[in-house]
Amino acid sequence: MSELRRDPIGGRWVIVDTDHPNKPEDYEYEPQAYKGGNCPFCYGNETQTPPEIEAIREPGTAPNTPGWQVRVVPNKFPALQIEGDLDRHGVGMYDMTNGVGAHEVCVETPYHEKDICDLTQGEIENFIGMYCRRINDLIKDKRFKYVMLFKNFGASAGASMEHPHTQLIALPMVPKNVAEEIKGAHEYFEYRERCIFCDIIRQETQEKERIVVENKYFLAFCPFVSRFPFELWIMPKKHNGKFCHMSPEEVPALASILKEIILRLKSIFPHLPYNFILHSAPINGDASGDGYHWHIEFMPKLTRVAGFEWGSGFYVVATPPELAAKYLREVPQDALK
Amino acid sequence: MPELRKDPIIGRWVIIATERAKRPDQFAGTQDAPSEKACPFCEGHEDQTPPEIYALRPKGSTKNSPGWDLRVVPSIAPFLMIEGEQDRRGKGLYDLMNGIGAHEIIIETDEHVDNISDLSEEQITKVISCYIDRINDLEKDKRFKYVLVFKNHGWAAGAGRLKHTRSQLIAIPINPKRVKEELVGARNYYDYHERCIFCDMIKQELDTKSRVILDIDGFVAVAPFASRFPFETWILPKKHSSDFTKMDPNSRAMLAKILKMTLAKLKKGLNDPPYNFVIHTTPFKRQKLGYWKSIDNDYHWHIEIMPRLTRVAGFEWGTGFYICPLPPENAAEFLRGVQV
Repeated sequence: MSELRRDPIGGRWVIVDTDHPNKPEDYEYEPQAYKGGNCPFCYGNETQTPPEIEAIREPGTAPNTPGWQVRVVPNKFPALQIEGDLDRHGVGMYDMTNGVGAHEVCVETPYHEKDICDLTQGEIENFIGMYCRRINDLIKDKRFKYVMLFKNFGASAGASMEHPHTQLIALPMVPKNVAEEIKGAHEYFEYRERCIFCDIIRQETQEKERIVVENKYFLAFCPFVSRFPFELWIMPKKHNGKFCHMSPEEVPALASILKEIILRLKSIFPHLPYNFILHSAPINGDASGDGYHWHIEFMPKLTRVAGFEWGSGFYVVATPPELAAKYLREVPQDALK
Repeated sequence: MPELRKDPIIGRWVIIATERAKRPDQFAGTQDAPSEKACPFCEGHEDQTPPEIYALRPKGSTKNSPGWDLRVVPSIAPFLMIEGEQDRRGKGLYDLMNGIGAHEIIIETDEHVDNISDLSEEQITKVISCYIDRINDLEKDKRFKYVLVFKNHGWAAGAGRLKHTRSQLIAIPINPKRVKEELVGARNYYDYHERCIFCDMIKQELDTKSRVILDIDGFVAVAPFASRFPFETWILPKKHSSDFTKMDPNSRAMLAKILKMTLAKLKKGLNDPPYNFVIHTTPFKRQKLGYWKSIDNDYHWHIEIMPRLTRVAGFEWGTGFYICPLPPENAAEFLRGVQV
């Protein structure tokens, strides 16, 4: 018998096939590939991008020249534009605003063919630090209510550039799923005076079966109500609504757990395409962040089942998260080097 | 300047990326499907599917034998089971229940045709009537709250290897989230305005015209103001109705016509793109579940067609945030110009 499971935060129901679960080899995904060719994100091609916003570079090197390790540039084809007023208005029954916002690209490494798991601990810490700096900078613009940070890796996960990168979009409103998550967490907090995410961490730690890996500061687990097979959440154990408020000790722990889950996933699914999204509390006081708890949602792109989910908001997961976590825990140690 | 547009029904904001807008012909087809296997949905292969639930066949012909026009069978790989109890329960802070439900495949023709738009209007009318018959039949099962009819066409849209046109339906003991959001949004609008939001939308679209693709015989096909996907198209009955199953035979034929024309325009104009469609209709009105009294007035059934031309998937799923690289006005203009 399969199970219907309900997400305690957003209230979404998901079908989990516990009867005939898919094994990893049952997934026919499109492997991520490097085809090469000219790449504006590569070392030496700095003039091919719009001028850099910020970079981690060797002392003495000039902006938009080689010598960098992490580089942030405006998106060349931005979905939103930084200049202008929101100008909220109606068109008959419809509401709209100008597409004001920021759309930045964080190039995590000068190397074209290095995924996060191929970087050193220090290199990962560097780009995590850069994420924080960019978010802190964008918060200063009072027009923005939310900064969304996400990564598309591999063409089938929506990446249009092969070179590893992360995108930041600063928005004048809180996106729908985030708003729902915040509302759900807030209601739980109002009633119980506890954070729902802290309660989830407590329950997952007791039950253990969905945990993949943990360290002193972070827990990585396959959520009870996964929407996608092998979905993983990385959650700080310490209650904290905002990513940028992470303490300095937590950064290395996040870098190591992020690297480890990608290594584990890739050991099962070679050349895995994936997305991850940072969920953090809204900025500039639009919605209450009480009882919110930042985390990263990591979504391997293994399935194509889309339109049905889009149309219904109903998800079907062919590998129960308990089983996915087991596969991921059982990855041999030498694959994690 | 790109625009942020708000869906008036469920309140979702969408980015219409006017600056990076692509021309309609720049949307290349996506991934190719792996090669086809022998087709169990073709006439003569009836023994390769589970026993049929429903079929249009001449009087006197035997079940699960050739000679049929249209056939409904249980899914070979159902993700819900028809037998059993729901058994709602808690597990710490989580809620769960058994996966009770029906999952059926509607084989729309006995011939190995790939796209429903290549069937005759008459045959599509039969498909629509079959949807209605199946929904009505499943309504009798008191465990179910909703029947979702949908179609996956093409590999990238989640269809399997077999290029034999078919739709699916799922009967479930809960209302799907997206449907519920629409129901709530429509009710809130009705509470305030005492008008149906969809009727208002149709009226505004017909006045503005820029997003109308087809307007024929009581139905309208429009590119919604806050489209999530390039060439997203909604088909709505102009006359208010909350319930898809209450369509009379004449309306069914008219719906078949506009559905065929819309899908044929997509096929011809965009080189047979993968697409999904979903029918959104009222949930079953179970008295004890306390549905609001205005639902017949405030909700309006419709079909949402979603071509799968872009590959920005996991991100949109995860955030509920969409970036549509083609303004719906341009999509509608392009599709109006495709002659079928």
